[in-house]
Amino acid sequence: MSQPIQPTKTLDVRGEKCPYPLIKARQEVLQLGVGEVLKVVATDRDSVRDFQGWTRSAKAVQLIQQDVETDEQGREVYIHYLARQA
Amino acid sequence: MDTSPKVHEITAQVLYDEMRRGDPLFILDVRNEDEFASWRIEGVHPLATVNVPYFEFLEDETGSLAKVPRGGTVTVVCAKGGSSAFVAAMLTQEGIRARNLQGGMLAWGDLHITIPISSPREARTIFLQVNRIGKRCLSYFLASDGAALVVDPTRHIAWYTSLAEQHHARMTRVIDTHLHADHLSGGPALARRLGIPYHIRLDDAWGAEFTPASLQDGTRLPLGASIVEVLALHTPGHTPGSTSLLIDGRYLLTGDTLFVSGVGRPDLGAKAEAWARLLYRTVSERMAGLPDEVLILPAHYASRAEMQPTGLVAITLREARARNPIFQLRTEQEFLGYVLEQLPPQPPVYQEIRRVNLGQLELDAEHAGEVELGPNQCAAVRPPGSSRSL
Repeated sequence: MSQPIQPTKTLDVRGEKCPYPLIKARQEVLQLGVGEVLKVVATDRDSVRDFQGWTRSAKAVQLIQQDVETDEQGREVYIHYLARQA
Repeated sequence: MDTSPKVHEITAQVLYDEMRRGDPLFILDVRNEDEFASWRIEGVHPLATVNVPYFEFLEDETGSLAKVPRGGTVTVVCAKGGSSAFVAAMLTQEGIRARNLQGGMLAWGDLHITIPISSPREARTIFLQVNRIGKRCLSYFLASDGAALVVDPTRHIAWYTSLAEQHHARMTRVIDTHLHADHLSGGPALARRLGIPYHIRLDDAWGAEFTPASLQDGTRLPLGASIVEVLALHTPGHTPGSTSLLIDGRYLLTGDTLFVSGVGRPDLGAKAEAWARLLYRTVSERMAGLPDEVLILPAHYASRAEMQPTGLVAITLREARARNPIFQLRTEQEFLGYVLEQLPPQPPVYQEIRRVNLGQLELDAEHAGEVELGPNQCAAVRPPGSSRSL
């Protein structure tokens, strides 16, 4: 966590509600090459817990970090970094 | 990419009605495993339930589908109704009869069921137990001669105002038996909305942002021009201000003081032993003076084992004296040992809930729903049959 993560691609799913942040993130990350990272920006608070649960059993995806930030509209946003694995 | 319009939706109320009828039900809960472990739909009768998180249907569709029975109807449930609609659509495409619980566990936790209690003065009186089944919170609606009072209302105050409308009664007062720590009270909001008194004992309302109406021991609370008698009895122990209401000498609304199969935990104020001694005196002296026929109507229950076949959560003092272990303890020492040794952990959110109930803190609707998720933890000892695991 010491080095800033360099995402290959960013997916904006702000405003989308469960299950779509996860479904869309999964589609996107599986398009990436092995070792590449997808950054997901979501407003759905439930995505935090769901991404954790999903990546515990997911075969080709690893959750490397989650952050909470405030976006330019003052909304709380949840950032997920997903790495594509072999 | 939207929810398939083909998915059949049902409301929490319809699901509950089916449970009561004893319809065969199969629940597929698609939330995370830890959410499922901490809180799930429980039936009136034992319920067939399986937990397969919705993302498992993406990762391993075949394996996940294999866990769902074919032949019957599957009711799919998640936190708010979105993921379950997605899975229900998937099952429908597979030829499985599936339907989605609208609003998910959030809607289930908000469902209030009303069950009639045989009325104190028959014809002109309406006496109802209002059961918020997802939280196992009980409140009471009593109307007579056009006037109504509500005891221990939940924050969903529209349920009570619509009951009053339905029974052509004007609400005249609202009472909390004690300061609730496990759920948000609707008492202050209901009183403010209708401009009527909100009663809670001052011992439980220190630091409150509102001035409560009095609830002194031995006072009679008038109910319009009605002849129904509502008598306040100070029954401390769960909290210092805990008060029970004796209706017509026959029904005792005990709050969290006495449950069908236990007593209220005395440790929510960091003075567990002192409060447990108060509770001992309440149970061994105050309750001892009441006749066997009195029907105990508590503010919570821990499992459906505490329900009568009608769904009413109640027990006569006669039965309670025979069956509730709390009445089998002969000395104060035995009593203290029993209630202090098996205390369940105190959810950290209780402090926040108390502050809201005192008017010191306000929460928006979404956050209010979140602090209240899951069943109550108000009993001193979790009775057998309660399925909640921590």
